[in-house]
Parts: sequence; structure tokens; C-alpha cells
Amino acid sequence: MKNQSIKMIIALTILGLISAVLLAYVYQWTLPIITEQNLQEEEKAVFAVLPGAEDYKKINKDGYIFYEGFDKSGARVGVATMLEGGGFQGMITLMVGTDPESGKIYGIRVLQHQETPGLGANITGENYQRNFVDKPFGDYQVVKRPVDQQEEPYKVEAISGATISSEKVSNIVEEAVESIKREFGGSK
Amino acid sequence: MQLIKDFKTGLWKENPIFRLVIGMCPTLAVTNTMVNGLAMGLATAFVLLASEIVISTIKKLIPGNVRIPSYILIIATFVTFVDYFMKAYYPPIAASLSLFVPLIVVNCLILGRQEAFASRNSVHRSIADALGMGIGFTWALLLLSAIRELLGMGSLFGFQVLGNWYPPMIIMVLPAGAFITLGILIAIMNQISNITTEDTHCH
Repeated sequence: MKNQSIKMIIALTILGLISAVLLAYVYQWTLPIITEQNLQEEEKAVFAVLPGAEDYKKINKDGYIFYEGFDKSGARVGVATMLEGGGFQGMITLMVGTDPESGKIYGIRVLQHQETPGLGANITGENYQRNFVDKPFGDYQVVKRPVDQQEEPYKVEAISGATISSEKVSNIVEEAVESIKREFGGSK
Repeated sequence: MQLIKDFKTGLWKENPIFRLVIGMCPTLAVTNTMVNGLAMGLATAFVLLASEIVISTIKKLIPGNVRIPSYILIIATFVTFVDYFMKAYYPPIAASLSLFVPLIVVNCLILGRQEAFASRNSVHRSIADALGMGIGFTWALLLLSAIRELLGMGSLFGFQVLGNWYPPMIIMVLPAGAFITLGILIAIMNQISNITTEDTHCH
């Protein structure tokens, strides 16, 4: 009986050790690639939401991550922030680019999401993201009808069949805009 | 001959999804697009093959009392490997499958085949079984996701095949669509095998 348990312990220990060594190896092999990829994604998103930016500086402040974008001459073109918030199914990570001086949004990009394919996943589409281009800072209201951005700047047109996803994204944008306003001052 | 028989078992007669009806969690959850279905099928097939090879090789060294934890440990190792690998080389697919990749560990198809097959048969036969079951699982997922993606989004593998005239049936990409499609498919499969077995009785 005792012999039996010793055998069991030995077998499980050896298996555990082998698997730990293998996984440590795989982890070290893939980690740099994964980090590099996330960095590239981040960089691409920053340049996408800050038009004219050639270079950027990453700032961590009060739990938020800000990216100050600069053009060729070194002048600041705008501030972006990466923010995560709850979506319909999982977390949504957004990059929101703004111009804090004039208080308007340049544009948004979805970095990560787990919304329903064919419905909520349309938040990555141009049709939805266009809602936020050139929007003034403020509270946004999601409506289920076509919106003329010139006349109703605080309205966001919902994706049909995915009102919740549309609302969640605009909530994250609101928070992003709020944090940029706080840290970089809306009016000068 | 035996090897071919083992291989063919998983393709049709004991197809994991349509005949054994196991491994339902990934089946129902990730078959909303064909890319997801294919990636999940291949990932599961790889884990199944690798763990059947290892377990049929070392089956005599594992004491009977701790065989289940040992199997889980081996399976989990390969699943974690697949998880890291997909994150590193196929990040968009890894993102859309998200937590269903680590969940392959608890796919009862994999543990079931270890217990029912790999722990009792030679390495050669286990490889044949794993390939058959893995391909059987993959084609079933592909069929399911093709129907759901076509009806739910009007596309196949992300390419729009149905024009604007087609109003997408949104329910098909939602979980309910998975149950409906799977139920109808199983009914069709049962009907087909009823007919074929009746035929063999006649002769």
C-alpha cells in the first residue's frame, strides 16, 4: 500500500516537472514575439487616431495610459489614450485620439474585443467608428436612427442589432475623453 | 488494415460531434465563423494527437490510481503550448477564440480518447485514432460553422458570398443558432446512417 502511494507521488512529480520545464521553454520562446506584436498594434493604433503624428511619448498617469503625439517639427498634434471597458461579452480595449486644445476627437480604433461576430463585432467597422470623428468632448447619446454629425454632434448612431455594444463603446470613449480633459486641460 | 479501420472510426461511425455528441462546449461556442471553427478544430486535433502519442507511449509507467490527473497534466501542457503559439503567430485568431483555447483542456473528447483508446492500445493505433477523431471533429466544426456563417452573415471564411439581397439571419451567429443547426445536422446524420445500415441488412 505504502509502496503504491510512493509510486503515485513519483509519477506525478516527474510528469509535473517535465511539463513545467517544457512550458517554461515555450513561454520564453513566445513571450518576446507576443510583446513585440502588442507593441506594434499599439503603435499602429496611436498613429491611426492621431493624424499627422510622426512620433509619440507614452505617459502613465493616475492609472491611465496617455500617448502624446508630435509632428515632424516636434509640435504636439494631440493626445490619445488606451482604455479598457466592459463590452457586451468581454472587455473592449479602445484607442481614442483627441485634440485637447480644441476639445474634439480625431478618431477611435478598437484594439481588442470579444463582441458577437456579425453584430457587435461591427464596432471595428468604419461605419460605426465614423460616428466619433471630429466629435466635440461631452456626453454621447446612442440613438437608433441615422445621425447627421453636423447637426447633432452628441448623438451616436447605433449598429443595428448591437445597441448594447454601441453604447458600451461610447461609454468608454466618454471616459477616455473625460480623462484627457482632466489631465491635459480642455480650455486654455 | 486495423489502422485504417481505427482512422475511419472517428470520421463517421463514431464522429465525436454527430455520433458521440461529446466536446459540445467549443462546438456550440466558437462555430459562428468558419475561421474560428477551423482553428478550434485544428487546435483540438493537435492536442489530441500529441497527448495520445505521449500517453500510449508511457501508459505502463503511470500508476492506475493517478492516471486521470496524469492525463490532464499532459493534455494541459499541450493546450498551453497551443495557446502561446497561437498568441504569438496568429494573434487575431487567438483573440477571437480567447478563453476557448485554454478550455480545450476540459474538452471531454480529448480525455475520453485517452481513457478509451490511448491507454489500451499501441502507439500506432493511437495515432490512427487521434488523426481520425481529430479530422472528424474538424470537419464537423467546419460544416457547422459554414452553415452558421453563411446564413448568419452571408459570408464564408469572411468573404461575402451572398449579396445585399440576403437579409442575414442574426440568430444563426448567436448561441441559439448553434443548437438549431447542430440538432438538424444530427437528425440528418441519423437518417443517413439508418438508411445505410438498413441497406447492409438487406444483403
